[in-house]
Amino acid sequence: MAVIRREYLQRVRSKWFVFSTVAGPLFMIAIFAVPVLLGLRDDADERGIVILDRTGVLYESVASRLGEALEVERVAVDESVLSALEDRLQSGNIAGFLVLDTGTLSAGRAVYRGLETPSALRRVLIRQAVVESALEVRLADASDAAGVRALLDGGQVEYQSLLGESSGEDDPTTALATGFAGGFLLYMTLLIYGIQVMRAVLEEKTTRIVEIVISVVRPGQLMLGKILGVGAVGLTQLGIWAVSVVLLLTFGLPSVVAARPELLELQNATEFIPRAGELALFLLFFVLGYFLYSSLYAAVAAMCSSDEEAQHTQMPVTILLVVPMMVLLPIMENPDGPLGTWLSLVPFFAPILMFPRFMAGAPLWQVGLSLVLMVVAIVVVAWVAGRIYRVGILMQGKRPTLPEIVRWVRQA
Amino acid sequence: MSHSSQSHAPASDPAVLLDGVTKKFGAHLAVSDLVLEIPRGSIYGLLGPNGSGKTTTLRMIMGILRPDRGSVTLLGEDTNGSARRRVGYLPEERGVYKRMKVIEHLEFLGEIRGMTRPIARQRAMTWLERLGLAEWAGKKVEDLSKGMQQKVQFIGTVLHDPELLILDEPFSGLDPINQDVLEEIVRDFHTRGTTVVFSTHLMDQAERLCESVCLISKAEKVLDGNLMEIKRRERSGAVALDYEGDDEWLDGSGVEAVERTSSGVRVRLRDGEDPQVLLQRAMSAGVTIRRFEIVEPTLHEVFVRHVGEAAAAEAGLPSGYEGMGGAA
Repeated sequence: MAVIRREYLQRVRSKWFVFSTVAGPLFMIAIFAVPVLLGLRDDADERGIVILDRTGVLYESVASRLGEALEVERVAVDESVLSALEDRLQSGNIAGFLVLDTGTLSAGRAVYRGLETPSALRRVLIRQAVVESALEVRLADASDAAGVRALLDGGQVEYQSLLGESSGEDDPTTALATGFAGGFLLYMTLLIYGIQVMRAVLEEKTTRIVEIVISVVRPGQLMLGKILGVGAVGLTQLGIWAVSVVLLLTFGLPSVVAARPELLELQNATEFIPRAGELALFLLFFVLGYFLYSSLYAAVAAMCSSDEEAQHTQMPVTILLVVPMMVLLPIMENPDGPLGTWLSLVPFFAPILMFPRFMAGAPLWQVGLSLVLMVVAIVVVAWVAGRIYRVGILMQGKRPTLPEIVRWVRQA
Repeated sequence: MSHSSQSHAPASDPAVLLDGVTKKFGAHLAVSDLVLEIPRGSIYGLLGPNGSGKTTTLRMIMGILRPDRGSVTLLGEDTNGSARRRVGYLPEERGVYKRMKVIEHLEFLGEIRGMTRPIARQRAMTWLERLGLAEWAGKKVEDLSKGMQQKVQFIGTVLHDPELLILDEPFSGLDPINQDVLEEIVRDFHTRGTTVVFSTHLMDQAERLCESVCLISKAEKVLDGNLMEIKRRERSGAVALDYEGDDEWLDGSGVEAVERTSSGVRVRLRDGEDPQVLLQRAMSAGVTIRRFEIVEPTLHEVFVRHVGEAAAAEAGLPSGYEGMGGAA
């Protein structure tokens, strides 16, 4: 339909769309990447470091931990070693040297001497290697080294549920983080695209073009056209983002890691790629939530005659979106508690609350129920909003009062 | 009301037929029991003061508003059908998509009326050339001057070669050049057989353009029909005379009042008097007659006679009321 096409093309071609599509992920990447890159900058320093091990037991352990990231060299402990190392440092032969002594073994203290302070990333790396090695050596006397190693790697807890569905060996934090990120993304996109619909309707109303359009197209069709057009833009943008994230993680990341082994930890990010089913549910929540909220925003715009007025009138609708966002964190601490269960079934809150709860393992029947309730809510809201839209779109002048709106809905 | 066209063949069924149409906004009665028949191929004027219900009537014809009572027939169909696509509607508040390119804006308007995009584009270009805007086709609408935007609005109204033009206060807010442009478009379409309906509160304009009119005031129809017939019917027995000679012949039976004008007199005859008798009397009195005219009333006079001075005075006043969308 021409209305959808116009709305879609107008928006996709706009500078705003291109900007936000490109800048959105870049911005997110930048938030993570900039500190890392800043820290990496002087790691272009290819020179290795020298380890002076006065304890005689730490070198192997520390070197194996550091070895992946930077070149290490062992020096023998004798009288002249310190001055020799100072000379090598001055001549630029090495980046620095690390002195391990009894203080290292007893309290994890060590001294690093270099021309300049190492980058943040390197400092973390060195400290971790030193502390872990010291722990390993100290504990090695008491128990077996392999056990200590496993402990140092963070351990592993097997979860066995009495209800018996999932014995989650995998790390729940990943699912929780994905759920939370998904909820947040839903909040952002619903808000952004809801407001877009409001602006689109308001623009047609304030420029008065709407009267010409509804002299040919039914108001209901026009409203639906607007919603579908803007919605298609939203899906396009989400699609571009999703594809670029997947491409980045599957192709971009390994090459980055290959080039810089010390960034190996980033590899874990691939765990955050949602599975197809999760993605489908996310999209479903987006689409349903979008229909719900965009009808409300369209009705708001139809009531108003100016941007300022719309800014005020949209508040109740926006609050509906903000409320679940505010309770999301507390609910995620106890996803299946009564608060989470009941609020996430409310159609207006469902997208933002139910998706994270699903990721946290909420019962499927609740997810299904929330979807059904949302569909019911959409039918009701669209009916009411459509009537408000039909009457309101031709009204100019003062904003209607609540009783007047009720009358519109009855009479239209 | 006129039923002259009802006996004709189906091909000349009225372009628009309103039967007992009533519309209320809350407690406010906007249009009351309006019966209207707009003959095909005519230029039809819907006249009345601001707030008399013109815009509401036109919106009901376009199916934008639904009447509370009565029925509207548009080009032989009800207003839910595809007939609306065959109409060129120019509302009083004329809008444009400011941020679209001129040509895309016009394409869109063509498309929603069922034209294919290439044809809409081609027609739009023809019109843009005709109105001297061809080089603006790729510019955004908001970059155009107000006068140029008005031309784009005209093009958007007539792009799909409508059978019926419905123009709500089309001449208000236009600069003189665009008034001429629009008048030319209207006459052009009229000669090609298109029915043109427009509303105005400017009586002299209606008088110049319309073949048939409907006068409405305070939501009710005052009178309607063919303009010439109305004038003949409303003739008041006034005679304008320019002459040289004495005045004694003016006093006589049948003369109700005499009014001096700059060039002669304006005589008002009693009802049923024949103006020719007055002419004979003047000739036999030996005066030289330069002009003898049976004065037809202006639309304004007809209007005043039917609705009173107060309402007529209102008609000349600008008011935003009808732009309020008929909100009560």
